[in-house]
Amino acid sequence: MKTRLPLNRRQFLATGAAGIGMIAAPHIARADAATLRITGWGGKWGQTMSSQLIPAFEKEFNCKVETDSAFPYLPKLQASSRSAPVYDVLHTNSNEQWAALEMGIVEAKIDAKQVPNIADVYPYATSDKIVGVCIFTSAIGLGMRTDKGYGKVSSWKDLWDRAYDGVRGGYVIPVNSLGQAFLMMSGALYGNGMTDLDAAYAAMEKLKPIKLVDFTGTMEKMILSGEVGVAVIHDSGILRYDGQNQPTAFVAPSEGVLSLEQVLTLTPGTKVRELANAYVNYMLSPSVQKTLAESVWYSPANSKVKLDDKYNEKLLTTPEKVATLIQVDWKWYNARKDEIDARVNRIFRA
Amino acid sequence: MNTIRTGITPIAWLIAPSALLFALFFFLPMGLMAMISLLTGNPVVQANVTLTGKYYQRILSDPYYFEVIGTTLRIGLLTTLAALLIGYPLAHWMARIRSRTGYAMLMMTVLAPMLTGVVVRTFAWMALLSDKGAVNQTLTGLGLISKPLPLMYNEFSIVLGLTHIYVPYMVLTLVGVIGRIDERLEHAAQNLGASPLRAFLEVTLPLSLPGILAGSLLVFALAISAYVTPILMGGFQIMTLPMLIYQQISSSFNVGFAAALGMVLLTISLVLVIAYNRILGLVSGQHDLQ
Amino acid sequence: MTVAAISLRLGRFCYRVVNASVVVFLLAPIAIVFVFAVNPTPYIQFPPVGVSLRWFEKFFTSRDFMNALQLSLEVAAMTTVAATLFGASAALALARGGLPGTRVITAIMLSPLMLPAILTGLALFQSYVLLDVGRPLWGLVLGHTLVSIPYVVRTTLAVLQNFDTRLEEAAQNLGAGPLRTYFEVTLPLTKPGVLAGAVFAFIVSFDQFPVSLFLVSPGRETLPITLFNYLRFDLDGTIGAASVVSILLAVLVVFGLDRTVGLRSYAKL
Repeated sequence: MKTRLPLNRRQFLATGAAGIGMIAAPHIARADAATLRITGWGGKWGQTMSSQLIPAFEKEFNCKVETDSAFPYLPKLQASSRSAPVYDVLHTNSNEQWAALEMGIVEAKIDAKQVPNIADVYPYATSDKIVGVCIFTSAIGLGMRTDKGYGKVSSWKDLWDRAYDGVRGGYVIPVNSLGQAFLMMSGALYGNGMTDLDAAYAAMEKLKPIKLVDFTGTMEKMILSGEVGVAVIHDSGILRYDGQNQPTAFVAPSEGVLSLEQVLTLTPGTKVRELANAYVNYMLSPSVQKTLAESVWYSPANSKVKLDDKYNEKLLTTPEKVATLIQVDWKWYNARKDEIDARVNRIFRA
Repeated sequence: MNTIRTGITPIAWLIAPSALLFALFFFLPMGLMAMISLLTGNPVVQANVTLTGKYYQRILSDPYYFEVIGTTLRIGLLTTLAALLIGYPLAHWMARIRSRTGYAMLMMTVLAPMLTGVVVRTFAWMALLSDKGAVNQTLTGLGLISKPLPLMYNEFSIVLGLTHIYVPYMVLTLVGVIGRIDERLEHAAQNLGASPLRAFLEVTLPLSLPGILAGSLLVFALAISAYVTPILMGGFQIMTLPMLIYQQISSSFNVGFAAALGMVLLTISLVLVIAYNRILGLVSGQHDLQ
Repeated sequence: MTVAAISLRLGRFCYRVVNASVVVFLLAPIAIVFVFAVNPTPYIQFPPVGVSLRWFEKFFTSRDFMNALQLSLEVAAMTTVAATLFGASAALALARGGLPGTRVITAIMLSPLMLPAILTGLALFQSYVLLDVGRPLWGLVLGHTLVSIPYVVRTTLAVLQNFDTRLEEAAQNLGAGPLRTYFEVTLPLTKPGVLAGAVFAFIVSFDQFPVSLFLVSPGRETLPITLFNYLRFDLDGTIGAASVVSILLAVLVVFGLDRTVGLRSYAKL
C-alpha cells in the first residue's frame, strides 16, 4: 500500500492492533458478572460511593456496577431504546424523574415487595409528588456569608433587599431544580400561590442584578470565595463544610423550606430487575443511609436511621422537622416548562 | 499556478474513503437530525411520530430566537476580528523570525493554550476576571478601585475568552501562508522606494489574503459553535445558539426543537461561508481557496 | 529623511510592542493557572496564600483523572492517524483529481466544522443506538475523526494549491511516471501541510468536548469531560494541576516535532 504519511506502516499497524485490543477487552470482561448500570453525582457523593458503598454492594450481590457521572443523564436515556435502556436505575432529582415518567422511560412506582426497606421511609418519600422513591432530601433555603456584616436574614424576601445587589446568587431556571422550585416559591411569596406565575415573573425581574450558576456545586464555591454573599442553596451545600471554620451559615426561611429530593427509579426495559431492586433496597438500608447522610449532609428518607448528634441537630430527622418540607408539584411545572423557560430566559438576559 | 487539468485522473479515487466515511457517519446521522427537526418525536425509539413544522414555526414566530441568533453571529464576528488583529502580527513575526529556538518558543506559546483544553482555559479566565479574581484583587489591593469591575458575565468576557482560544488557530493558519510569501518581494518594493509599512500594505497583505480568509472562516465557524466558553464566561445571562441547543437537549429534552435550531445554525453558516468565499475571491482576483 | 527614520523606528517599536502584548495575552491565563495549581485553598483566591503540591497529588492519585488522561491520549493518537489518512487522501483527490464540483465537495469536507459539535455527537449517538453497538471506543474515535478531518484537508489543500506545479511537470518531462512523480515530488513537498493538519487533529481531539459528551461511557471518559464534571463540584487547583501537565505535554510535543521533522519546514516550501 502506498503511504504518503510521516508515519510508517509499522506504527500504523501497531496503533490499529492496540485499538482493536482495547475494543475487545470490555467485551471479554462483560461476559462474566451481571452488570448494573446506574447514575450518580460526582464530588463527595461519588467518592463515598466508589470507595465504600459500591464495592460492598458488588461483593454482596456478586455483580459489577457501572456508574455514569457525566450529567445530563436524561437525554442519553431518552435516546436509547426502551428495550435496551442505557441505565437500569436512574438517580436524579424529582423534576427530572417526572419528566422521565412523562416520556415513559422510568417506572412510576417501586415494587414494595422487592424493596422491603421502603416500609420504613417517611411519607414524603413515596408521596404522590414523588416518582419512584426518594432516598434523601435536602432543605432549600438561603445560604449566606457571616463575615460581611449583613443584617439578619430570616425570610425569603430578604433576598430581594437592595443591599445585596452585586452579591446575590441564583440559578439558571431552565436547567436547575432549585431555581425552578424557587420560582414557584416566589409565586407563593408575592402572589396567591405557587402556581401564580405572573407574580413569580414580576418577582424575578426585581431580583436583578443577580449572579446565575447552573449547579449547586458552583454556588458553594462562589459563596466560599466571597463572589456571592447571599444565595438560594440547599442546607447540604453549606453544612458539608462544617468543621472547616468557614464564615457561612444556612438560614431556613420563615415561610418554609423547599424539598430537594434525590430520587431512584427503575427503567421499564431493565434486564437485571432483581439486581436493580436490590440496589434500591441497599440505598434505603439504615447503614448506607447513615454513611451517605453523614458524608454529604443529606437528610435520610429512612425514618429508622440514627445519625450522630451533630448531624441530627441540623438535618431533618424527625417527623416534625420533615413535615416542614414543601414538596413541589413537578408534574404541573413540567407541563408548562417550555413557556416558563422562554419567559425566564428573556427576563434574565443581560 | 496552473494545475494540470486533464479531466478526472485516477488520483480522484482517493476521495472514496473519506466520501464513504462522511456518507455513513456524518450525512446519515445529520439527515436523521434534519428529519427529527420535522417530526414530533424520535423515530429511532418511539412508535407513532408524525411530520410537523412546529419547531420551525416556533423559531420564526418568536423574536427572542432572532435575538439569540443575532447574539451568536455578533460574538462570532467580534471574535474573528479580534483574533485576526491579534493573530496577524504574531504570525508575521513567527514567519519571519530567523532563530530556530525563537521559532520553537513562539510555537510553544501558540500551542500551549490550545493543549491546556478549553475547560481549563476558561477556568483561567474566570480566575482572572471574576470579582474575586486576580485582576480585580490586584486593582483593589493597589487602591485603584473600590468596587470590583464587572469584567465577567457579559459579552466582553465571552469574546475575550473565545479570542484567546482561537488566536492560535488563526496564527497557525496565517504562518504557513505568510511564510510562503517570498521576502524578496518585500525587499524589492522597499528598494523601489516604498516604506516598510507601504511594502507590507501593498505586497505582503494582499498576498496573505487567502490565509486571512481561511483563518477567519475557521475562527468564525468555531466561535459560533462554541459552547463551554460562553456558558462559563457569560454567567448564563448571554444566550447563544449552541447554549440554547444544549439547553433544549439536556433540560427540556426537546430533541426536535434542538435539531431545528441546529439546522438553522448550519444553514446560516453555509450561506455566510459561500458569500464570504465569493466576495473575497473577487477581491483577491484569484479563484477562491477551494 | 529624519522623519522617515523616526517613523521607521516608531513602526518597529509598535511592531515589537504589539507582538509582546499578544504573547502576554496568550500566556497570562496559563500563568494564572500555574499559580492556582500550587495555591492550597480549594477555591479561586487571589493573591495566593502559599505553595503546595496537594493538587498535583490529587490529580495523579485520582484514578478518574489518570484514566481520563490516558484515554484522551489514546483517542487523540488514533484520531490523528485516522484523520490524517482520510484527510490527506481527500485533499490530494480534490487538488489533483480533476473532480467535477470540487468546490462543493471541499465545502462538504469542511462542514463538520460548521455544525455545533454537540449535534454531531448526538446524531452519532442515536445512530449507534440504531446500530445497537452501545457506546464503543471506536464510536468515540469516529466522532473525533469526523471533526478533525476538516483541519487536515484544509492545511493539505493549502499546500497543494500553492506550490509550483511546474516541479511536477519538470519531473514528468524528465521521464518520471505519474506515480513516481507523486512519491518523489508531490508527497515530500506536501509533508508540511499534512503534518500541520496532523498536529491540529491531535489537539482538536485531545481538547474535544461536545462530541465526547454523548459518546463517552462510564469509566471511559476523556479528560475534558472529567474536568468539566469536576468543575461542577470542586473549583479547586486540581484543574490547575491538570493544565500544568497538559502544558508540559505541549512543550514535549513541540520539541519532539522540532527534533524529528523540523518545524521550520512547515512554514516555507
